[in-house]
Amino acid sequence: MIISSCLLLFACKKDNKTERFKFLTGHVWTTESLLANGADASGPGGILEQFKGDAKFNEDGTGYFGIFTGTWRFNIDETELVIVTDTQLLPIITDIVELNALSLVVTTLYPNPIDQAHPINIRMTFKAK
Amino acid sequence: MRYLLIAILISLNTHLIGADAIRIVKGVVIDKRTHDILAGVYVIYGKNLGTVTDENGNFLIKTELDKLTITFQFIGYESLTKEIHIVSDSTIEIEIGMETKIREIDQVVVTANRSEQKVAELTVSMDIIKSAFLSDNHITDAQEIINKTPGIEVMDGQASIRGGSGFSYGAGSRVLALIDGLPMVSADAGNIKWQFLPLENLAQIEIIKGASSVLYGSAALNGIINFRTADATNIPDTRFFIETGIFDKPKNKDRVWWNTPRTFSNSSFSHLQKYGKNDIGISGNLMIDEGYRRFNGEKLARISLKLKHFNSKVEGLTYGINLNSGYTVKKDFVLWENADSGALKQDVSTASEFHGTFFTADPFISLRKTNHFRHDLRARLQSSLNRLPDNEQNNSDAISVYSEYQLWYKVFEFLDITSGVSENYSKVNSIFFGDHNSMNVAGFTQFEIRPLPRLKGVAGIRIENNSLDGINDKIIPVFRAGLNWQAADYTFLRASFGQGYRYPSIAEKFAATTLGSIKIIANPDIQSESGWSSEIGIKQGLSFGKMTGQADISIFYMRNSNLIEYMFGSYPAEGLGFKATNKEESRIYGSELEFLLSGSFGKISTSISGGYTFIYPVEVNPYTNENTDIYLKYRRKQSGNISLSTSWKKFNIGLNLYFKSKILNIDEVFLTTPILVGFNDYWAGHNTGYGLLDGSLCYRLNDKLNLSLAVKNITNTEYMGRPGDIQPQRNFSLRFSGKF
Repeated sequence: MIISSCLLLFACKKDNKTERFKFLTGHVWTTESLLANGADASGPGGILEQFKGDAKFNEDGTGYFGIFTGTWRFNIDETELVIVTDTQLLPIITDIVELNALSLVVTTLYPNPIDQAHPINIRMTFKAK
Repeated sequence: MRYLLIAILISLNTHLIGADAIRIVKGVVIDKRTHDILAGVYVIYGKNLGTVTDENGNFLIKTELDKLTITFQFIGYESLTKEIHIVSDSTIEIEIGMETKIREIDQVVVTANRSEQKVAELTVSMDIIKSAFLSDNHITDAQEIINKTPGIEVMDGQASIRGGSGFSYGAGSRVLALIDGLPMVSADAGNIKWQFLPLENLAQIEIIKGASSVLYGSAALNGIINFRTADATNIPDTRFFIETGIFDKPKNKDRVWWNTPRTFSNSSFSHLQKYGKNDIGISGNLMIDEGYRRFNGEKLARISLKLKHFNSKVEGLTYGINLNSGYTVKKDFVLWENADSGALKQDVSTASEFHGTFFTADPFISLRKTNHFRHDLRARLQSSLNRLPDNEQNNSDAISVYSEYQLWYKVFEFLDITSGVSENYSKVNSIFFGDHNSMNVAGFTQFEIRPLPRLKGVAGIRIENNSLDGINDKIIPVFRAGLNWQAADYTFLRASFGQGYRYPSIAEKFAATTLGSIKIIANPDIQSESGWSSEIGIKQGLSFGKMTGQADISIFYMRNSNLIEYMFGSYPAEGLGFKATNKEESRIYGSELEFLLSGSFGKISTSISGGYTFIYPVEVNPYTNENTDIYLKYRRKQSGNISLSTSWKKFNIGLNLYFKSKILNIDEVFLTTPILVGFNDYWAGHNTGYGLLDGSLCYRLNDKLNLSLAVKNITNTEYMGRPGDIQPQRNFSLRFSGKF
């Protein structure tokens, strides 16, 4: 009985629906600005062009992000948002600067293929649709 | 009446004459299988009548009786009783061959419940490796023997039991290594210092497969490996060996980079002796390994000393100290030059000489009254110094002081309680990790109840707190429970549940460095891992004709959360590199079968043992709590082994077959970036299962000396541990050993 009780107790599903989780998954987000080193990079040929458009973070950890589909997750204290897609070689690991019912702002560094010593500062701003 | 009186007198006279006649029984006691002399065997031939065999295995009984029932008893052997008839004034000479207790279910272990118990009565799965297996197979590296145990993989120093761990570059072991029950992981990297384990004076290795944090705290998330050293007995015991070996060419001759063959040599000794009330044990080991890979050699020296005193005034009071130290100079293999001709050549950018010094001092005092109580106060002062002359910013000094008090008390015949408190203070001085200190305090209690003669229940709780640099983490409670029911004489059913957790190591939090093209990024915000494991199992004694033994089958399930994994990516503040993250949520389902059979057929004695483990290790979606279709990294679904050992006259032959299926998943970075040159193509062609065959042949020169030859990887199979880490090709070793 003790063992069965332990198994039942610890097998129970955790409630992961924190406030940040609800904010992120509660909306379809649309890009407001996509900046690389402070300049707009969402135009044709820009390095963030393919992120332009809508992003949806589903409750099951899947989603779409511009033209990409894949998975997303928070880090343990929900200060980072990590996006993994099949088409990107590396996971996109971002710091969450702002996340509320209306706004999502994330920043990261991305390798600079021309100058590896100076990665590109990325800042992506989304508004709830 | 007269005749009756005469008859009584005659009878009495006859009896007295008979009583005066001395009869002598002389004999020698040997191991029936190996013909080794057995010294210290109890020879009992009546109430309070007995003797002990001397160092040559001889005993002598003088008696006035014409019939004796003699019982021979010796630890590790089946008791044997002989009835002897002796005619008056004569001497009888006998040879007694005692059989080892081949059913492992009778073996006594201490790790599972922190008190002595028969392995069959445990509620958890435990493997036992006897020191003889190491010597028979020329195994001098603790990693090698653990890696060859069913259900366990050691990947570049990182142990994983039943898939509970992946590979995290040597930092933060989820398997806790113990020497004689005290933790032996480095205070900085939280890893096992395999090379400093005192294998030269080993009694046995006990492995618990599953979360064991209730009894052993943080780092026992995935299990325990306890290296138990041998104690002195009434008979002095001296052993030694010297060994030399050579690596063959690999199957792919393009990989040969040397002009002269690569060799290795090893020598070892140990001596155990009692001097009155004192036990003394001393042992040492010297090893030189040129390495089969360029820039990957090692020189190692170890020495250990055990001192124990039995107080003559207070019965059951013992105290002493164990000392263990070692020094190594080596180059760890990190990256190859390329996947072809450079696969066995370390890239110059990562070849860095490492000088490691290790020292432990373990004072202890114990007061025990058999079957009533036991108090144990033990401590370990551990120092680990890492020096990298070519890369001094990676130097590290780590000192820890561990102490524990434990009480075992038999409350009632059906109830035992084991309680204790422990602390572990660590201090790390390093540019690599930064300067840090940590303190861990814990208390634990475990109840063991036997409500019915064949039923045993165990329940325990531990409360532990960790602080780092003066900042307290939350208090962690963990639980365990288990049952063992002896369903029949040789049938034991068990079920268990145990929680585990692990505080991140200082390396995982603070290590920041660059190794060649690999950048490691610190993550001070990393959190503890946690999980639990459960299993049901059956242990069955077996008997087939002259073969006896045991089989063990178990089904297990593990669930872990926030597992720390090094993730490669471009991080917002630090850029491109590896960083420890609480990424992995996992479930592992599995089953395991292990068996041992042994027996004698005339002059041939043989034993066969083996095991097979199947796991299904899968990532869990943290938001739905459902399994994904992604396998956990660096795990294999299947592994197993089968070992055969046969002795005939002066020869002993051993064959060991190991097999492992392919690695299910690895870090994408190795496939999508040029960190490991040529790895992508190599992986596509070489990530397959593999089988390894090792063999050994031993010739007994006399009662004390042996000469043996071992060939490892007989088929010269090429196989890999973690990415880029090709394992040794075929190698030969010749050993001269003795036991006095």
